[in-house]
Amino acid sequence: MAADSPLTEFIPTLDFDKEMQRWANVINVLSEPEPEVGQTPRNEIWRKNKSVLWHYPAKQKKYEIPLFFVYSLFNKPYILDIAPKASVIEGLTNMGYEVYLLDWGSPGYEDKKIGIDTYIEKYLRTAVKRVIRHSGAEEITLIGYCLGGTIASIYASIAEEPIKNLIVATVPIDFQPFMGPDKWAEGFRAGDIKFERFIDTYGIIPPKLVEGMFRAIGAPIYFTNYTNLLHRAHDSKYVDKWRRMNKWTLDQVPFAGEAYRQLARDLFKENKLVKGEMMVGNKVVDLKNIKANLFVVSGSRDNLILEEQSKPIMDLASSKDKTYITVEAGHVSLALTGLFAKIVHQWASSRSNPL
Amino acid sequence: MSDKENYDPYESLHKFSLLWEKQINDFIFLLSNNKDYVKASHRGTDLHARFLETFKKNQEALAGALNFPTKNDVTNVANLTLQAEEKMEALEEQIWDLQDSVKSQNKEIESVVEVSKEIIKLTKQLKNELVKTKKELSDTKSLHAELQELKFELLKLNNFKQEFETIKDLIKEEKSAEPVLTGTASGN
Repeated sequence: MAADSPLTEFIPTLDFDKEMQRWANVINVLSEPEPEVGQTPRNEIWRKNKSVLWHYPAKQKKYEIPLFFVYSLFNKPYILDIAPKASVIEGLTNMGYEVYLLDWGSPGYEDKKIGIDTYIEKYLRTAVKRVIRHSGAEEITLIGYCLGGTIASIYASIAEEPIKNLIVATVPIDFQPFMGPDKWAEGFRAGDIKFERFIDTYGIIPPKLVEGMFRAIGAPIYFTNYTNLLHRAHDSKYVDKWRRMNKWTLDQVPFAGEAYRQLARDLFKENKLVKGEMMVGNKVVDLKNIKANLFVVSGSRDNLILEEQSKPIMDLASSKDKTYITVEAGHVSLALTGLFAKIVHQWASSRSNPL
Repeated sequence: MSDKENYDPYESLHKFSLLWEKQINDFIFLLSNNKDYVKASHRGTDLHARFLETFKKNQEALAGALNFPTKNDVTNVANLTLQAEEKMEALEEQIWDLQDSVKSQNKEIESVVEVSKEIIKLTKQLKNELVKTKKELSDTKSLHAELQELKFELLKLNNFKQEFETIKDLIKEEKSAEPVLTGTASGN
């Protein structure tokens, strides 16, 4: 009789197998060790202080010009090699490119005086020289992601080394547009808030503060990633992807004090890169000195770097061969899904001297 | 019952959490997006930094008195290591330059050797030709001598011819001056 009761129509049913799978996966997330990242075979070819230059050999070399990745100073670069089959670097090595990656490393208190100019002059330039020497190529393709794109662009405009192609993705060039609260930006630019003493005292910006800064700009309260995990925990593939993403998001690196000061003062406050007033060593950084073939990629769902921040490089650079595209991706998902490898390949294949 | 959809409570939870998260963040945005908040943040960070600065100074003083190394000492040592690293790098680059110059010199030497080989080959050819020429010269000389001899012989022959001509003339003359026979011969 109870089965025929009209009340049963209103009692929801649960998919028992799905629920079992969901909770088994949740328990795995809590109990299992963190997923392995950076699994593409690589060799260390140079090390300085905490920075390492990695070489990822091509499966079957098809292009003469190697790709050299410069990642942001804010996060760890293993997002470019996050998981087999979804790795940007693995994808490119499978396509026949020799890939190099400069991992900036995690600065310690002793690195508080390393500024962006030092990173460029003493680390990036040397690494580029090493790549040219190691690969035996006459030119390279420089790829900058996020703040790595800004650093790559600054370097490309003062470089004496031969750079044939410059690729920048989700790159902030113009620091005037700001994703966060406008009054903060106004206050900072007006000098109502200063971080000089704070930076001097701390030496390096601790990772928790770096994370907090990004949270404050985007979403100070953030817990929907956990409810989303709970919602989709029955899907093992999603859980694996979530774990990798979560590991990377929480794995912040400290930021060298002097570099932070320069970033805040020269770029964010005074917007010197766009104005052509930035100095690296005794050289003026003028983006019009960029003559390499230029490829700029922006994400339409990027909630950190706006398109208006990337676009100005198209007018500022003197390159004859310039391409700008917007892809349906977010700031991180472009690298997380491995989509970036295909985008790079489409543009770079004809410009990398096929063998 | 079979066409009844299974209930997923977490879907609703996620949808609600998205909504709550957005609402809370919007509220925080409204609360913090003003000049007063910015100034308060400045005062807060400044105060925090001042406090930490004093704490660090005292810590340094105490560590100095007790002869404990501090992070600043570690920094100094690390900088020395970095300097050493940079010197090594500079040396390595100089070695590269040396290697490059040795390589380019080797190439030059190789090209000089190639040219020398060509010169040696040419010299040998010239030598052979010289020998040949010498031989030809000696042949020519002997030919010349033979020719000289021949010339001399010819000269001699010429002389002989002249003599012969002279004799011939004499004979002719003699023939013409010969007396006509008149029969007064002795008859013997």
